[in-house]
Amino acid sequence: MPSNLNHLLQQNARLAGVLLFILALGLISGCASGPRLASPAEMGVTEQVKLDHVPFHGQRDYQCGPASLAMALNASGVDVDVDTLIPQVYLPGREGSLQPEMLATLRRYERIGFVIDGRFETLFQELDAGHPVVVMQNLSLPAWPMWHYAVAIGYDLEDEVMIVHSGMEPARLESFKRFDSTWARSGYWAFVALPPGELPVSIGPSRAMDAIAAFEHAQGTEASLPAWQATVSRWPQHAMAWFALGNAQHANGDATAAAESFEKATDEDPTLTVAWLNLGLTLEGLGEIQRARQALQQAASASGQWQETARQALIRLDG
Amino acid sequence: MKKLTRVLSPLLILFLTVASLPVAAAPQPASSLISTQDALQADQRRSDRERINELLARQDVQEQLQAQGVDPADVEARVAALSDEEVRQMAEHLDELPAGASVVGALVFIFVVLLVTDILGLTNVFPFTR
Repeated sequence: MPSNLNHLLQQNARLAGVLLFILALGLISGCASGPRLASPAEMGVTEQVKLDHVPFHGQRDYQCGPASLAMALNASGVDVDVDTLIPQVYLPGREGSLQPEMLATLRRYERIGFVIDGRFETLFQELDAGHPVVVMQNLSLPAWPMWHYAVAIGYDLEDEVMIVHSGMEPARLESFKRFDSTWARSGYWAFVALPPGELPVSIGPSRAMDAIAAFEHAQGTEASLPAWQATVSRWPQHAMAWFALGNAQHANGDATAAAESFEKATDEDPTLTVAWLNLGLTLEGLGEIQRARQALQQAASASGQWQETARQALIRLDG
Repeated sequence: MKKLTRVLSPLLILFLTVASLPVAAAPQPASSLISTQDALQADQRRSDRERINELLARQDVQEQLQAQGVDPADVEARVAALSDEEVRQMAEHLDELPAGASVVGALVFIFVVLLVTDILGLTNVFPFTR
């Protein structure tokens, strides 16, 4: 091949490479304009929030997980430092901390980690209510991820900036655009840490109940009781919440209150077979055989997975 | 050998029968209510086999954490704080789960790309870009 043709080809290849690079950049920036937000009035939040009660802990090396946890826990009244948290949440083999363990570690300090809906509106609502939000970000691009935990402590809707305790920088100002891009790459993952009895303002009943059930599994029913009480006062029409409260009351030895809660559950949703079943079993334990029989008959009349248990309980009652 | 069997078999039969008696005869205590976790997961029926799998998964996660360098003294308490769902996630996808660490292994080319995307405000790798 003549050398000048070779040269030409090389030049073309270089040109093509440069064009491709520019095109790629155009594509990336093209799909990432800043988030579109409703007005503050529509979202029901104030224009500017900065939570001053959230202390800052700077991260060392790969310790953004333990540092973020320490900030969230301190803000909710738990006295714990980063060094205590490192062996509890940091995973040396991965040089980082995993999401399930972040939530699990909160439970060890009697706090419930509620994963919230990943939207700017919910973020603002929680911050406006005084709850710092731990967010996961991918600071880099998906191909070379750089996972990071930070604690959102405020925002300014006019300047379009988030205020975050992040890495080595307290109260860092981060534009909505950059925050949105990096947060989006974690699938908008975020949680708030609250003591049992308090609920995030933005959460729905099923997510809240999942979080409390996971907490109960780790810490027991005595610790979870206030959380269920808060759930039924927030959503008094939610039958499952009454059911869960009844279970916690029963486990704490208050069968009378439990029976009332199970009855509430069946009032709110007469098709909730499992509530009829537990109501019947609780009344049986209280010696109210006639009412127990009625409840168990309700449970046994509906086909499904609890029918057999209800039938057996009826046989036992009459036997 | 046969003699031994002759002696052992009736004993075993007796033992097994006695052991199974309380379950068959005594009524179940009325206090065993259906738990909230079971009721919440009612869509996916939890058979005994699943419960066993969950126990095994917990064991599995314990071993994985230890292999990843967690102090054996800390492993048990860490796994105990996980919910069943989280244990399942960890057991199946421990290597794929993102680990928050905020460090990137960077080559020069990647460095340049990330610098540009940082300046464009799409990423946040370098502290000096705002």
